[in-house]
Amino acid sequence: MKRHPMLKYLKEKGPAGPRMPTIMCPGCGAGQVLNYTLHAVDDILREDGIKKEEVVFISGVGCSSRLTSHYLEFDSGWTIHGRALPIATGALLANPSLKIIVFTGDGDAMAIGGNHFIHTCRRNLNVTILCINNGLYGMTGGQVAPTTPAGIATTTTPYGNIEEAFDICKMAETAGASYVARWTTAHPRQTIKSIKQGVRKRGSAVIEILSQCPVHKKASAVDMLRELKATTVSIKKTSCQPKGKTPIGVFCDKNKPEWTEKYQEIITQHSSRENR
Amino acid sequence: MNRLYINQDYCKGCLICVDVCPKHAIGASDRLNSKGYILPDEIDMSECSGCMLCEMVCPDFAIAVETDEEAYRHGGET
Ligand SMILES: Cc1ncc(C[n+]2csc(CCOP(=O)(O)OP(=O)(O)O)c2C)c(N)n1
Ligand code: SF4
Ligand code: SF4
Ligand code: SF4
Ligand SMILES: [Mg+2]
Repeated sequence: MKRHPMLKYLKEKGPAGPRMPTIMCPGCGAGQVLNYTLHAVDDILREDGIKKEEVVFISGVGCSSRLTSHYLEFDSGWTIHGRALPIATGALLANPSLKIIVFTGDGDAMAIGGNHFIHTCRRNLNVTILCINNGLYGMTGGQVAPTTPAGIATTTTPYGNIEEAFDICKMAETAGASYVARWTTAHPRQTIKSIKQGVRKRGSAVIEILSQCPVHKKASAVDMLRELKATTVSIKKTSCQPKGKTPIGVFCDKNKPEWTEKYQEIITQHSSRENR
Repeated sequence: MNRLYINQDYCKGCLICVDVCPKHAIGASDRLNSKGYILPDEIDMSECSGCMLCEMVCPDFAIAVETDEEAYRHGGET
C-alpha cells in the first residue's frame, strides 16, 4: 500500500500515542498549506543539497500556528501568540545559516503580532513567513480579525464587519520585504512554487495564502475553494482587472541587503581593525 | 493502471481530492470510516493521468496514487 509521500516529514506517533490525524477540522486550509510547504521543502532538500537540520519551523498561536506543534519531523517551535517572528529572529541571530519558515495566521500576524511583522520586514530578516489568511480568528470561535473583509459577518460582527481589512501584501512590501506574494489554497502548484522562491530568497519573504475555515463559515471546503478561485484574479492579467476581485501573484521580488549579512559585515570590519 | 490508496484513519471526508481531479478518476464512495466520514474511492482509474493533484491538496495526508511505474519499481503487480 502506498502512503502519502509527505508523511516522511511528519511525526505520526508520540509518547502519548498517535498524533495523526491532525487536530484540524475536516477540509481546513491549514492542512493544505502544510502539504504545500512540505512539497516545497522536499524539493529544496533534494535540489539544493540542504540538510533537514538546517530547516526550522516557528509559529505562534492559532489553528494555522498549530501546524508546527507535534507534527513536524523538523526542529520546530510552537511559541507565543503573535511572537513567532521575535523567536525566529533569535534563532537566526544564533545561527544565520538556518532556513526559517514561520507559519502564522492572519490574526497572529496582523493583530497581536502586527508590530513584529512590520519590523521583521523592515529589517529584511532572512525568514519565510507563510501567513494563512482565513479572515477570522479560527481557534477562538470565528471572531472578526483586522483582515476580515468589510461587510463580512463573523461571530462578533453578526450584521457585517464595518471596518476595512488590512492588505497583508501591501503592508509587507511597504515595510521592506524582499519577496511578497499572495495565493490561495485553491492554487497548489503556484503556492508551492512561491514557497520555494521565498525560502531561496535572502531576506524576508512573505507569502499570504487565502484559506478556508469551513467550520466558522458554515460552508463546505469544496465550495469555499471554488469561491477562492472565482474571487481572485492573477496580476498578470493586467488588461482585465475585474472590480471586487482580489489580486493574486508575486507582487515583489527584489535583491536587497539582508540584516544578518550587514551585521556580519560590521563584525568583520571592526574585528580586523582591532587586530591591526 | 494507477491505483488509489486511502488511509481510512486519517481521511476526514472533505472530498477536496475528488473536486480537484481533472479526470474524474476518483469520486465519493458510499462507505464511511469509523468516525462517519465519507471516503473517496476509485471511479475510473484508467482515466488517471498521475498528475498527483489529489495527493497535493489533501489537508490530511490521507490519499496516495501509485502509478504503474512506481508499482513496477517496488516490485508490485501492475
Ligand atoms: C496573548 C494571547 N492573547 C489571546 C489569545 C487567544 N487567541 C488564541 S488564537 C487567537 C487568534 C488566532 O487567529 P489566527 O492567527 O487568524 O489563527 P487561525 O486560528 O484563524 O488560524 C487568539 C486571539 C492567546 N492565545 N494569547
Ligand atoms: S476552526 Fe477553522 S481554521 Fe480552525 S481548524 Fe477548524 S476549520 Fe481550520
Ligand atoms: S482530500 Fe484527503 S481527507 Fe479529504 S476526502 Fe480526500 S483523502 Fe480524505
Ligand atoms: S493523480 Fe490526478 S488524475 Fe489521478 S486521481 Fe489524482 S488528481 Fe485524479
Ligand atoms: Mg485566522
